Amino acid sequence: MPILAIEGATKRFGPNEVLRNVTLSLDAQEIRAICGENGAGKSTLVKIITGVHSADGGRIVIDGQPVEVRNPQHAQELGIALVAQELSLAPALSVLDNIWLGNREVPLFHRRRALRERAQAALQKVGLGDLPLETPVSQLSIGRRQLVELARMLTRDARVFILDEPTATLSDVEIERIFAALRTLKAEGKSIIYITHRLGEVFQVCDSVTVLRNGELVGTRRTDEIDRAKLMEMMLGRALGEMYPRWDSNPGAPMLEVSNLGVPPLVQGFHLTAPRGAVVCLAGQVGSGAIEVLRALAGLAHNASGEVRVAGQAMPLRSVASARTAKVQFISEDRAGEGVFLRLRVGANLVATQLADHSRFGVLSRHGLRAAAAKLAAAVGVDRTRLRSQADELSGGNQQKLAFGRSLGRDDAGVLLMNEPTRGVDVGARAEIYRLIRQFCDRGYCLVMASSDIEEVLGMADVIVSMYRGRQIAVYRRGEADMQRVLADITHPAAA
Amino acid sequence: MTRAVAKLLDPKLRPFTVMAGAIVFLGLLDRGTGYFFSIGTIFSVMQLFATFGLVALGLGLSILIREFDLSVAGIVGLAGCIAVMTGVGNPWLGLVLGLGAGVVSGVIQGLIMTRLHLSSVGVSLGGLLTLQGLTYVLTDNKTVAYPNIAVSLSLNAPIAHLISVRSAACLAVFVVAALAMAYTHVGRDVIATGSDRRAARVAGLNTDRVVIGVFAASGASAALAGVLLSYSLGAASPVALADVLAPAAAAAIVGGVSVVGGRGSPMGIAAGVMTLCILRSGLSAIGVEPYVHDLVTGSILIAIAFLDAPELARRVTAWRLARVERQALARKSS
Amino acid sequence: MSGVSLRSRLRLRGLRARHLVLAIRVAAAAAIAVFALSTPGFTSPLSINALLNAISFIGCVAVGMTFITLTGNIMSLCLGATVSASALVFLASLSLGVLPAFGVAIAFGIVVTAAQGALVGYIRANPILVSIAGLSLLLGGAAFATGGQRIYPGGEGLQVFKGRFAGIPIEALYFFATVVVGQLVLSFTRIGRDMVMVGSNLRAATAAGVDTAAAITMAYVIAGACSAVSGVLLAARYGSGDMELGSGYDYTAIAAVLVGGTAIQGGAGSVVRTLLGVTAIAIIEVVLLLRGFSQQLQYLVTGLIVLAVIMLHTLGERR
Repeated sequence: MPILAIEGATKRFGPNEVLRNVTLSLDAQEIRAICGENGAGKSTLVKIITGVHSADGGRIVIDGQPVEVRNPQHAQELGIALVAQELSLAPALSVLDNIWLGNREVPLFHRRRALRERAQAALQKVGLGDLPLETPVSQLSIGRRQLVELARMLTRDARVFILDEPTATLSDVEIERIFAALRTLKAEGKSIIYITHRLGEVFQVCDSVTVLRNGELVGTRRTDEIDRAKLMEMMLGRALGEMYPRWDSNPGAPMLEVSNLGVPPLVQGFHLTAPRGAVVCLAGQVGSGAIEVLRALAGLAHNASGEVRVAGQAMPLRSVASARTAKVQFISEDRAGEGVFLRLRVGANLVATQLADHSRFGVLSRHGLRAAAAKLAAAVGVDRTRLRSQADELSGGNQQKLAFGRSLGRDDAGVLLMNEPTRGVDVGARAEIYRLIRQFCDRGYCLVMASSDIEEVLGMADVIVSMYRGRQIAVYRRGEADMQRVLADITHPAAA
Repeated sequence: MTRAVAKLLDPKLRPFTVMAGAIVFLGLLDRGTGYFFSIGTIFSVMQLFATFGLVALGLGLSILIREFDLSVAGIVGLAGCIAVMTGVGNPWLGLVLGLGAGVVSGVIQGLIMTRLHLSSVGVSLGGLLTLQGLTYVLTDNKTVAYPNIAVSLSLNAPIAHLISVRSAACLAVFVVAALAMAYTHVGRDVIATGSDRRAARVAGLNTDRVVIGVFAASGASAALAGVLLSYSLGAASPVALADVLAPAAAAAIVGGVSVVGGRGSPMGIAAGVMTLCILRSGLSAIGVEPYVHDLVTGSILIAIAFLDAPELARRVTAWRLARVERQALARKSS
Repeated sequence: MSGVSLRSRLRLRGLRARHLVLAIRVAAAAAIAVFALSTPGFTSPLSINALLNAISFIGCVAVGMTFITLTGNIMSLCLGATVSASALVFLASLSLGVLPAFGVAIAFGIVVTAAQGALVGYIRANPILVSIAGLSLLLGGAAFATGGQRIYPGGEGLQVFKGRFAGIPIEALYFFATVVVGQLVLSFTRIGRDMVMVGSNLRAATAAGVDTAAAITMAYVIAGACSAVSGVLLAARYGSGDMELGSGYDYTAIAAVLVGGTAIQGGAGSVVRTLLGVTAIAIIEVVLLLRGFSQQLQYLVTGLIVLAVIMLHTLGERR
């Protein structure tokens, strides 16, 4: 009998149906990968299993009994342990306290030696054996925090372990440790659900793989029955190339020149020359510095230093106003936290950066703003009827289009910096966004994009700059590098 | 030298540094006349401590989890009135009922906040107004006398000249709270809920229970303060401590409770309360005008607000970098 | 919170939830109106007068508080003291003439709150702490300056600020003028729009190039000016002043803001809503008085209704 079964799971967020009738079952001692593109529904499925969200339809069956997982604590009681994609560590607490956070076993007086020893053992298993237990988590790098989360998982007496993109920030050595820990768990009779973008890992450590696409189940196969190409075809539903628009690359004069950019504590000695009418991609995982570089260029890093010239003019760092004056626009990687005003109207979001252009002596021309909003909405493909809706009613993809629309405000083309432009965006909207990017390009914008999605980088970039731990590794023109090469650069560059 | 200073100003130790600083400051003002450094001053400091220390503790705990319990001001009054009205024959009965009212009020507000996902400011504001109203209704808008003089006297009688039963009880509660926070997982849970509530929830912590628990504790703490105060004054009035909220919040923040949550401790709060009490009693013992106390308190608060400001460090760094760049540019052109 | 929570059961799809909330609000307003109009004596000139008076003094402060709340800075515990201090400044400067004294009082209010706004806006100092500090400094400073004495008018001309005009108390006219100016600033100026964006999402506003520090400082400046207006009106009404004048105003003001429907976390709301909130609370108090409720019960019922309305407002919205 399967340990865990999901029957007909369905979930809606507002107007979006993110999961539709998904059914799968997991046996004991099985390591199952769940694959799918951004927005396929993988994280939502996990959140339903672990009680963070409740499903609108369908049910969960554990050991043959249907259950309703009320909340994460209840999920724990039912024997489900999660290592989430967004870290669930409390920065103010120590490593030891975080490992035992939320664990129902912990007695009232929690400084028992046994707890310390078990925590130490778990840390040892993930390779953090020499990390002092009292270290506050706020002092750890993202990679190490991920490992602490894994250590917490190991101390939970669960039967089903779910890992959501666990290796995004880890080095090869650390990844091997994770695999070893998973194999141990499997031998102990546990089952594991492993969510990943990284198809290589699927074949390295998993027994089987379930593919989701657009919220629906495509199928479940054993890993010895399929190969990479077939897996990708199941995920995309089409050949790779159709997602990305074709174009003729015609780069113009250099528009953005960056020398010796440093953003403590990560980025050092970064150089870049980006021409008009081309897309430059900084390829790197979380912690590679790609995102930090663009934030610094946008004026959001208070401690950035270096020299930047835009169209020949020097641009001061550390000031958003200076960046905007230099016609540098920025699309944040944190859409909800920094990109969109969720409780404001769509129209207000679109014109947020144009208020100065439509005001005289400080007084706004609301008529002018409305017209501008309508124009921008049309330009990015957002329905006019949505202008008066609140931004949080839109899907992730449409919200991202708002961010792009905001940057179209200016008539003269400048520099557009984009951090992870398609994160959390469903497949349909992603294709639209790639088309939008090309449109910007054709208008003469200089586009610089940071992305950890290598398929996206290979599909969109005229120039690829691979990054690892704050430094540039290599620069490639379009066609000079393939997936293997870039992946190698960003995960374990030869000459580090 | 600067490293030592930085360590002393580090938020964990700062409440104690500030308290020591206040003592030194007043000692200097005193200039050996002995008005400040006297047993009488210590006693009055402790009495004052007993009056609003517990309120600061409750409010501080709610700030720790990124909420703000405005209703503490109302509970002080209500609990005091309930105790005085029911505790004539049996003071313990009054105490229990007063505490019960505090706990119930906290639990109800906590339930409303967690079940309906409301912000604590709105709910506790409504709670404050409701509790004040209840107090008015119960006392019929009159001051209620507490004829059990024996209790009042014994609560305030000096023990070893330094403390009274009231201030000892208050200290005891702080010690229990500190031990609970340090040695039980309840303390870790509270800090986790304040530090990152979403993360704590996903990790499996029942954050709703933590919120309700904190508000219940806050209510109980404020209730105890109100009961003891009313007993010792021999009377309870609906406007018992109208201006308790601002000093209590100030004491909690001086005591190291971070308003972005996740940082703070009962002992720190105690030091913060002490600091403000020392200033008030000390300044009046020395014989300065009362307004000096407000000015000194205000200045300390501004200083702390300034030092704790998140953007301060960033602005300083940015300014320093700009200066370096300007110098480099000047050198280049010269 | 789990899927079977009360909230989820009440949750409807997007638009329908919003319509439901609107319907509830309209129903609540209608209930208050019916309650009021069916009370004998409510429409009498005496009670309308009392109503307008009650609204005007606290209403100005509530308008100012609205701006602070809208920018995401929750509330200020210092506005009541600003009211009192401005009243003292006004009375003391009357020897310069009524209009200059008015100007001085407003300038004073602005300076007091601008300093707080600058701390909050430029280095993100904690707004509650800063307001408490301001409160202490104001109380101490006032005691120092006045020696604890009541201040009496230093000159003539209080008539401009009291009495009636076309049958309406002048205080009410000043209050409505404040509401109109406040709402115009909020809806039609760039800095008003900046304030809403700052309150909605400070990081997004920063990334979009909004001058967040200026917007926050301006919000505090407006709060100070509004408080000063209230102080002047109070000084004119009572003919003398001390620091007790505005005591307790902060809580009533924030209650009015929340009852009106402005979100406590900022980014949503308006001055008009605060006007409705102030009016609702005042109507409830007057009606309870007219219906013979004892003052004690008035406090209690008002408190319960404020709590209920605040709960109703946020019922349909996410946190």
